[in-house]
Amino acid sequence: MKDYILTVMAQDRVGIVRDVASALTELGGNITHVSQTVMCGYFTLIISVQVPDKCSLLEIRQAIERKGSVGELEVNVRPYEPVPESQIRKSERFTLTIVGKDRPGIIARATEHLASRNINIDDFYAYVLDGRFVMLVQVSIPEGVDVDDVRSEIENLGKEFELTAQLQHENIFRATNEVRPVIDLQRGS
Amino acid sequence: MPGYDDTFQTIEMLQSEHLDVRAVNMGIDVFDCADPDINKACKRVKEKILRCASPLIDACRKVSRRYGIPIVNKRVAISPIADVMAGHDINDLVQLAHALDEAAEEAGVDFIGGYSALVQKGMTVSDRALIESLPEALSQTRRICASVNAASTRAGINVEALLLLGRVLREIAARTAEADGFGCCKLSIFANIPEDNPFMAGAYKGIGEPETVINIGVSGPGVVKRAIEKFCGSGSCRGLGDIAEQIKSTAFRVTRCGELIGREVAEAVGAQFGIVDLSLAPTPQVGDSVGEILQAMGIDKVGGPGSTAALAMLNDAVKKGGAFASSSVGGLSGAFVPVAEDSALAAAVESGYLTLEKLEAMTSVCSVGLDMIALPGDTSPETLTALAMDELAIGVVNRKTTSVRLIPVPGKNAGERAVFGGLFGESPILDIRSDTSNDFVSMGGRIPAPLTSLNN
Repeated sequence: MKDYILTVMAQDRVGIVRDVASALTELGGNITHVSQTVMCGYFTLIISVQVPDKCSLLEIRQAIERKGSVGELEVNVRPYEPVPESQIRKSERFTLTIVGKDRPGIIARATEHLASRNINIDDFYAYVLDGRFVMLVQVSIPEGVDVDDVRSEIENLGKEFELTAQLQHENIFRATNEVRPVIDLQRGS
Repeated sequence: MPGYDDTFQTIEMLQSEHLDVRAVNMGIDVFDCADPDINKACKRVKEKILRCASPLIDACRKVSRRYGIPIVNKRVAISPIADVMAGHDINDLVQLAHALDEAAEEAGVDFIGGYSALVQKGMTVSDRALIESLPEALSQTRRICASVNAASTRAGINVEALLLLGRVLREIAARTAEADGFGCCKLSIFANIPEDNPFMAGAYKGIGEPETVINIGVSGPGVVKRAIEKFCGSGSCRGLGDIAEQIKSTAFRVTRCGELIGREVAEAVGAQFGIVDLSLAPTPQVGDSVGEILQAMGIDKVGGPGSTAALAMLNDAVKKGGAFASSSVGGLSGAFVPVAEDSALAAAVESGYLTLEKLEAMTSVCSVGLDMIALPGDTSPETLTALAMDELAIGVVNRKTTSVRLIPVPGKNAGERAVFGGLFGESPILDIRSDTSNDFVSMGGRIPAPLTSLNN
């Protein structure tokens, strides 16, 4: 079996995940990870799948595309390559929130700042509703980066855009929203 | 990652509701520092406090920075000094008080508790010496906090000790007269004193506690007040039960943050994690007041009818939320009503709605007791004793902690203002409507333990 990562994008309708999953099953594949969301009526899906060695990348793509109407499903398939050990960084997870009146350039500026500090984005969600901008980002801050400095910089950046920006450790959200014992967080589970 | 609503609710609590950790208290056992030579005892106690507590400030700073949550007070509590210093006289105890004061200053902690005696059933020679040393010890030092446990459900009320304390309170007030009797703010007299309370002036390291221990006081009343205001303002409230649920969920979140931070500080300083105390401890700052919580619940004038019921509901909801949040809840864990330290309560006294009698009634449903009560300077030692007896009786009979911090303000009368400054705040001097119980109090002795003590 070979591992692949594939993405599917389309206008949303009922049954897209079923179509993709059945196409992969018919090829003899086994899905190991799925992440799917719908935003502004558009569907996106990212899947990790193991497929028999005999299947080519093109066959996988075409098998999925055939499940939709012509041109409906935009499919990308790539062979999976594990992240080399050397690139795995010791880091802690934080949540960055930015809230306030919408204006152009906020995301570009905030993410530029994160990248300049070598901070990776793991999960990103943002929307504008009635002129109010809300951004929620899960980031990994590498060991050695002064969190308090980053926090001040982020807060100052928020002020520059007249927004409220906060950086908070993941453990605080877990402690205040999960029912499992706090000691589990300390033990890293 | 938690849901978006939960995430923003937590953010709101940190940002708009100003969540903090009110107190990190390190308990340190000092029984191994006892020595018949007072100079050696002072040296050993000081060395041990500095050795154990020195990493505390740095650890608090690091954990606070990591989580972006302020830790307001860093404190130390030591074993009850009357027991540690058995065999020493008043002069020795005062010398030790100075050594403790220096140790606290060098360690960078704002207060050190444990200048204490446990006398609920009777006084040893050293217990008496410690109580008699209080006027000198509390007037000559800045960071020492003292406590005396003068009653318990198992032992009853030691009236003899309370009579002595009545005289001592007047003496402490006289020696700190230029500061409105401020020395008395650093002495709490208890029934059923907890061994793991992180709050001053009553913190001491109980003899059943480990070598070193970290106890945490959670965020102040401001978080709960703003959560109630927001909830009531949203139009979702359909009854008092809904408010209780809001308080419970806020207490849950606050407790969890406290435990998370407490455990990390404990690990960083190599101490055992002890307890999270759920108490809502006010400060004189506007917005950080138990009185204002009652107002947010709809009690227009704190002290008016309904105040006791509102406080009872608040106290109970905080406990329910906190008890579910953590198995390490301890200390006092109730709402405090320290008049001088709570601007809304002080204002209620000023306007005449909150009287000594109503405060006493309110303390029967919360912790701690008649706390930070400024009284006329000429209040007799017997009347101070009688007030303490009333409050401690509530604790003894109801199997709960109660305490008094009474300040007879030298040269001032009811209605005048006492100013203690800083976290100790200010308050009008309360009126005592009758002080004619001298015959009862002067009989002394001990009020026997109540029937409820026979529960084995």
